[in-house]
Amino acid sequence: MTINTLAEEGLRREQMACFRKMEKVIVAMQDPDMGMKMRNQRLLITVIPHAMTGQDIITWLIQKYHIYEEEALHLGEMLVRYGYIYPLKEPRCLVLRPDESPYRFQTPYFWTSTRWPASELDYAIYLAKKNIRKQGELMEYEKERYSLLHKRINHTWDFVVMQAREQLRASKQRRKADRIVLECQEQAYWLINRPPPGVQNMLDWGLERPNNLSARIPLNSDYYKSEIETSRRALGRNRVKSSVCLEGFVKYSEQYQNHDPIMQGCLPSNPWISDDIAYWTMNSEMAPVPTRLRVERWSFSFMELLTDAMGRREFMTYLEKEFSAENLHFWQACEEIKHGESSKIVEKVEDVYKNFLAPGAARWVNIDSKTMDKTLEGIKRPHRFVLDDAQMHIYFLMKKDSYPRYLKSDLYKNMLAKAVVPQETKKSVFPFMRRQRHSSPSPAQASAQAAEEDGRAGTNSAAGSQL
Amino acid sequence: MGKEECKTMLDALNKVTACYRHLVIALGSTSDSQNLREELKKTRKKAQELAVANRTKLTTLLKDKTISKEDRAEYERLWVLFSSSMELLEVDMKRSLEIGQDFPLKVPTRHLIQTGMTGNTNAVAARAMSVQNMKYEADSNIDTADLRDLQSEITQVSQMMEEMEMKVQVAPWAVVAKQEAGAELKSNMSVGNSSVGVISICEEEPKDDEGGGGREGGSTSIGAVLVFFVILTVALVLGYLVVNM
Repeated sequence: MTINTLAEEGLRREQMACFRKMEKVIVAMQDPDMGMKMRNQRLLITVIPHAMTGQDIITWLIQKYHIYEEEALHLGEMLVRYGYIYPLKEPRCLVLRPDESPYRFQTPYFWTSTRWPASELDYAIYLAKKNIRKQGELMEYEKERYSLLHKRINHTWDFVVMQAREQLRASKQRRKADRIVLECQEQAYWLINRPPPGVQNMLDWGLERPNNLSARIPLNSDYYKSEIETSRRALGRNRVKSSVCLEGFVKYSEQYQNHDPIMQGCLPSNPWISDDIAYWTMNSEMAPVPTRLRVERWSFSFMELLTDAMGRREFMTYLEKEFSAENLHFWQACEEIKHGESSKIVEKVEDVYKNFLAPGAARWVNIDSKTMDKTLEGIKRPHRFVLDDAQMHIYFLMKKDSYPRYLKSDLYKNMLAKAVVPQETKKSVFPFMRRQRHSSPSPAQASAQAAEEDGRAGTNSAAGSQL
Repeated sequence: MGKEECKTMLDALNKVTACYRHLVIALGSTSDSQNLREELKKTRKKAQELAVANRTKLTTLLKDKTISKEDRAEYERLWVLFSSSMELLEVDMKRSLEIGQDFPLKVPTRHLIQTGMTGNTNAVAARAMSVQNMKYEADSNIDTADLRDLQSEITQVSQMMEEMEMKVQVAPWAVVAKQEAGAELKSNMSVGNSSVGVISICEEEPKDDEGGGGREGGSTSIGAVLVFFVILTVALVLGYLVVNM
C-alpha cells in the first residue's frame, strides 16, 4: 500500500494550466466538420484508422488559429512533446516532423496530467507486461529500473505479476488492430512519464516551476485593488538608469583595482602560498604603522574611513583637535545600539539621550529641530532603530564638513607619508631553503585576540568617558 | 480452507481490476459508447462486491489470534495484494469519473478522441463478469445518470480503504513477496506466443517485424508456391534450349 497522500490530494490538485489548454486544442481537432483530416495507417494486413501526417497537423493549426507556420510548428511540437499526439514511425523520437510522418492521438486516460501522476506500481506492472511480451528482452535502462522497482516495492511484487498477467489476458480479448494501438499508446505514455536516460523529463520544470499550482487566485476586485496599489508604489520608486549604474560600477572597479589582492597581488606575499603571515600582521587593526594602500583607501569614501578601526581612531584624533568629536562619539553609540544586544537597547538609548541629546548635555550634538523632535518622541518607546534619523543627520554632517577637511589636513598627509609599502619577500633561490609548509595560524585567531584587547580597552574608555 | 477461498476471491478481484482498467483506457476515445459506459458500471459493481467480500474474509482471518506465524505472514501477504488492488481500483474509478464528465455522449457533436481503437470491449467486460455474452439493458442517459452513482461509490471505496488502514494492523512493507524478479516469464500461459504474433510496429527497432501466426502462414505458402512455379518455368526453358542446341 503506497502512502496515500497522493490519493487525497488528487482531487484538490490542479491540472497544470498549459495541459488544460492543450487538451482543448486536441478536443477541437476532433470536430467532425472542422477537425483534423484522418487517414488510415496500413500495416501489411491490418488497417488502423485515425492517423494523420505532421503536415496535416501544421496546416490545421495554421487554419484554425490564424498563425504562421513557425508558430504552428512550435505548438505542434509541444503537443507531441507532452504526449497528446504520438509518432507512429519512430516512437522514441518525440518531435513533430512537418512531412508525411504519421501521428495519432493519445487516449484521455494516458494524457499527461499533474493531477494523476504515474505511480511506481503502474510502471512496475508495465515493465512486467513488457517483460512477458518480449520474453525478457527489455532495454538496458528498463532492466535496471525493473530491478530497482523489484527492490523498492518488493512487498507488492506478487500483485505486480498477477496484475500484469491479467491485463495481458484482458487485452487479448480485443481484436488485433486495437491491441496494436493499445501497445503503442502505453509505450508513448511511459516514454513521457518515465523517460529513458538522457532524455529530458517533460514534467520537470526545474527552476521555472510555479510555486503553488493548487492556489487559484480569484480575480475579484480585491485582487485588482492590490495590484493597482503595487503598481503605483512601483512607479514612485527611484530608478537609476542602467548607464549611470554601469558607469558607477566601472569607476568603482577602476578605483579599487590596485587594492584588490586577487587582481593586483598582495605585498609582501600571499600568506596562503608563502606561509608568511606578514600580510595579515601588517594589515591588522593593531598594526603600529598602516600600509600605504590602506591609508589611500580612506580617501575613497567616508564609509571606508569609518569602517576601518585605525581610520576611525585617526579621524577621532582630528575631530578632537577641531572640537567636534562628539559627532563621531554619537555616531558610534548609535551603531552600537543598532548592532548590539536587544536587552541592552533601552539602557543604551537612555545613555545616549543623557550624553548627547538632552539640553545641556556634556556632548550635545547639533541636530536640526525637526529631527530632534522626532527622535525625542521616539525615545519614549525605544527600539533598535529609533536613533536612525539623528544618526543619518550627523553622518552627513561629518561627511560634508569634517571629512573633506580631514583629507586636506596635515594629520592625514603625515599619515600618508608615514605609511609603509611592504617589500615583496624575496623568494629564495634554492628551493630547499624555502620554509617548510606547516599549518599557519588562522587569521581568525589573530583578529580574535585583537578584538579581545580592543574590547577591554573599549570598556575602560567608556567607563572613563562616563565620568 | 480459508486460504484457498481467499486466493480464489483475490484472483477474481485481480481479474476484475485489470478488466476495469482496460475499459477505463477506452473511455473518451472512439471505442467509447453507451455500451462501454454500461460495461463500466457493471464491472465496477462487481468489483465492489468482490472487494467487500474479500475484506470481510481477510479481516476475520487476520483478527484471529490463534493462527500460526506462517499463516499470519501468508494472510498479510494476501492483505497487501488486496489493498494494492483496491488502490488501483480507486484511482481508476476517480479517473473514469473525470473522463466521463469531460466526454458526455448525449451531446449534438461528440468530440471523442480518435485514437484508432474502433473495436468494442464486449469481450473484456464479459471476461470481467465471467459470463459468455454481455447483455445491454441500460437506458440512453446512462452516461450522466451513472456519474452520480459513481461519485457515491468512490466515497464508499475511500471510506472502506480508510477503515481498512485503521482497523487492520498490517505493516505492508514487512511483507516479503513470493515471486522473484522475472517470475512472470516462467508462467505457463500462452501469452508469449500470441503476443509475438502482434505486429511490432511500435517497438524500438525501426524494422517492421512480423512474427508468425495463422494469417501469415497463408501468405508464405502462396509465396513458396509461386517460387516453385518460377523455378519450374526456368528449368523447362533451359531444358528446351539444351535439347534444341
